[in-house]
Amino acid sequence: MAVSEKSMPKTAAKPSRLQRLWDGISIIFESKVALVGLAIVLFWIFVAIFAPLLTPYSPTEQDYKAQNVGPSAVHPLGTDDLGRDIWSRLIYGARVVLVILPVSEDFWIPGGTALWGVFLGLIVGSTLGLMGGYLGGWVDEVVMRVLDAMMAFPVILLYMIIIAAVGASATNVVLAIAIVGIPGIARLVRSLALDIRTRDYIRAAETRGESVWYIMFVEILPNARGPIIIDAMLRVGYAIFAMGTLGFLGLGLPPPSPDWGSMVAKGRQFILSGSPWAALWPSIAIASLVVGLNLFADGLREESLRYQ
Amino acid sequence: MAKFFIRRLLLMLLTMVIVSIAVFLITEAAPGNVARNVLGIHITPEQEASFLNQQGLDEPMYERYLSWLIGSDWRAAGKIGMPAKQITTEDGFREWWAVSEDGTLVRWKMEGEDMLVQRRLVDGSVEESLDNERWEVKDPAVEIERLEEYRAELLENAQLTDDDRQAILQELDRILEILRENSRDPEALVAALAESEGALEAMIDPEAMRGQVTFQEIAEDIAKDDKLMQAVFVSHSLSASTADELKKSDLQAMARQLDKAADAIQDINPTLEGRLRQAAESLKAEDVSAAREVLEGTVSTLDQVLGSLGTFVDALQMGDYRRAVGVLRDLSDPAKTPLDAARLAVLPNSLEAIGEAVEDASPELSETLLQAVESLQAGNTEAARRTIGEAAEMLGEIGRAIARGDAAKRARVARTFWGVDTQNRAVRWEKGTGKVVWRLIMGSGWLAYSGGPAEYIPLQKGLLRGDPGLSLRTGRPVADLLFKRLRNSLVLAGIAFVIVMPVALVLGLLAGLNEGKALDRILSVGGMMFSVTPEFATGIFLILIFAFWLKLVPGATVFGEKAPWERPEMLILPVLTLTLIELGYVLRITRASMADVMKAPYIRTAFLKGLPYWRVVFKHALGNALMAPTTVIMLHVNWLLGGIVVVEVIFGYPGLGSYLLDSALFKDFNAIEAGAIVLVAVAVGTQLLADIIYTFLNPRIRYA
Repeated sequence: MAVSEKSMPKTAAKPSRLQRLWDGISIIFESKVALVGLAIVLFWIFVAIFAPLLTPYSPTEQDYKAQNVGPSAVHPLGTDDLGRDIWSRLIYGARVVLVILPVSEDFWIPGGTALWGVFLGLIVGSTLGLMGGYLGGWVDEVVMRVLDAMMAFPVILLYMIIIAAVGASATNVVLAIAIVGIPGIARLVRSLALDIRTRDYIRAAETRGESVWYIMFVEILPNARGPIIIDAMLRVGYAIFAMGTLGFLGLGLPPPSPDWGSMVAKGRQFILSGSPWAALWPSIAIASLVVGLNLFADGLREESLRYQ
Repeated sequence: MAKFFIRRLLLMLLTMVIVSIAVFLITEAAPGNVARNVLGIHITPEQEASFLNQQGLDEPMYERYLSWLIGSDWRAAGKIGMPAKQITTEDGFREWWAVSEDGTLVRWKMEGEDMLVQRRLVDGSVEESLDNERWEVKDPAVEIERLEEYRAELLENAQLTDDDRQAILQELDRILEILRENSRDPEALVAALAESEGALEAMIDPEAMRGQVTFQEIAEDIAKDDKLMQAVFVSHSLSASTADELKKSDLQAMARQLDKAADAIQDINPTLEGRLRQAAESLKAEDVSAAREVLEGTVSTLDQVLGSLGTFVDALQMGDYRRAVGVLRDLSDPAKTPLDAARLAVLPNSLEAIGEAVEDASPELSETLLQAVESLQAGNTEAARRTIGEAAEMLGEIGRAIARGDAAKRARVARTFWGVDTQNRAVRWEKGTGKVVWRLIMGSGWLAYSGGPAEYIPLQKGLLRGDPGLSLRTGRPVADLLFKRLRNSLVLAGIAFVIVMPVALVLGLLAGLNEGKALDRILSVGGMMFSVTPEFATGIFLILIFAFWLKLVPGATVFGEKAPWERPEMLILPVLTLTLIELGYVLRITRASMADVMKAPYIRTAFLKGLPYWRVVFKHALGNALMAPTTVIMLHVNWLLGGIVVVEVIFGYPGLGSYLLDSALFKDFNAIEAGAIVLVAVAVGTQLLADIIYTFLNPRIRYA
């Protein structure tokens, strides 16, 4: 990472780990855009984690006496067509995106659906990229041809066919996001690996007689982490975007799970009959989260470029 | 240059082949089935199999892929022995016909056991006539094998009287003999078979055969609501099958039925209830032999409670007329069945139910049974016994006729023939094997036929010859709708493209020229916000603002039969949504490119030479700055397609995207494939175009 100018005179020798970390973080405060983005993202992470404490309603609780009503003291953002509290559904929806992955009805694992999708894509994509970039030869040729064919697929078609094939559920959304992300990640990692494999420390490792896998994952991968991390941050944005789109098209989490995209799809039917709230709030939620993530990543990239 | 194009074109073709195979494989592996989607979730496995067969979906995968790609008519033509031809009628329907030797178009349909041929005359009218000469004996060798197997079965058939068995065996042996003399040509074979087959035909009493199905249905109807009778059925099926044949799920279902029977009887007979529960427990523990042992003792008690009718109904259902007659005989015999109070309490009701039910199948039997009920109710047990005895003889007579007819039917040699049916399929009709075929007949629902189509090849020309097949969802050719939808999508995308390009390029250039200033900040942050916001959110915002609050434009699209451009006001919001998304993207690319170029040394040189600002911008910078956006925009088409799908769904716009989505959710195979190929062709084609444009814009590539 870049090193802040101010810290240079204070530490004449190599800056400590903690110092370097702080320098990295302080970049954020240099950019107003990144700060705004960070604030939005932190807001959503906060409400997602503390969702049960922030609303008295469960996201599936129906109130037949209050259907499609606007914001009020009882329901801060109003209710949807089944009388479910929109605020509660929004923040539980954020939970699914950012904090938990519901594997089955009563079993979930930490880490949001979008995050797991990116993570899985990273694992498979980096492996393929490393193999293509480091091993070269026919392995590279095969990997690249397959990835080219995947890239030729219109993304939306790939999503549709994958979900139509495996069915709509949170784990399958993770799978779809990962599969769609693999070609891009693999190409990035491959180009990085092509560069790094010419370095002296790789030559040294080869001379030591290290195994191919050791060189790929212990020597090359850690040294390529910078660009991969920035790419992954942008990919989380895409993943949330994709989750929303899938939900909107009816390919996301099955009802009655609180899913932003499917909330919009359902609420859309009631806009022209006079109840815009059920479609409006989740649209704002997803737009703000994705914009926030991009503002943050953009600002960060700009600031770090300035110091280079 | 030419080499480069050819290489790219070949790669494009290769990609499309890979894509089509991939789509094929993925939809193949997908769970759920299209039969349920088309016919509803309550279809039976037989109906599902029949549907899949009719649509040709049960053929091997490679065969279906080839049919889809290069057509199935050539394959069908080989089987029919005539070429198949697709014509377009005056009403615009596409129909498949076979071309006979003299050039007339023919196709066939089966009515009962007769084959009718339709000839299409020059003026388009259709003439029908009998065409039974086409039937051919299947493969004699296969038939010999089938009939020999059947012969063994015949010897075991306990329902037949010895006389009937002898008569049938005699004809069957003659048929087998004729078949074994393989030297005959097909026509002579048919002639030789005529006599024996005529004799077999004479043994089939059509009146009685109608009763066969009716009796079974009656038994099922009576048993359906009676829990004790279900328990009798369970007991019989347990003793009839070995432990290995029974699946775990079957055992669980049986245990549930026994439990229900126990519930029904707990007030009347606690001992029986206890034994039923015991048997149910053994079944749940999958101990079949223990359950069988417990149940064997209970059947007679159960029967007593049911007035002997449990076994009777069970026998009718199994088609075991001998056992059914036996039950009635036992009832008529005072030595075998004492008509105690318990029996007398249930017997009249049960007999009456059966008597009324068999009315259609055999009026005489129905009358006799009802007469017996009357005698029972009048307390005249003797007369009742006598009448039941008569009923037993009647049923015996009917049962014999049914058994004989059934056996004779299956002893005939099966006939078959390939032709084109009236629903654009090549069909192999078959009659005489006694196999039941389920067919969906429009207007009458599902009907079981003893003969009829056995194999289908849906006729299609194949994608490469311009025919993507029929849509399972609509039953109409995919091409009809696909191209209309594609046109609509292209209209939408085209208008958006024409608006986005100039606006985005100008704004991007302005932002790039003013890098770091306020205008740049506003444009790039604004552009980013629009481009990363999901299309559906943008669409919702626009609908809310322009359709809901300002009420300026409609918030949904309804075209009916009209083309999109005939109602331009409905296009405004969809186009605006697409425009906003794309605007931000193109703007940012252009800005970055322009900013880069403006920092290049040759631009600085131009300024230092003292050239005017705008001259430098237009003459020196612009060309290079537009290079990146042009190609990146082309590559972005892939992404844009996703946007179009969502925009079409938001506004209900009848485009290719929503068509594809509906088809994917429905598993409408041909439609997904065709749509996917079109989309991929668009995506790969634009990438190719991008490469070509780039080569022209950047001379360095051409010589690299």
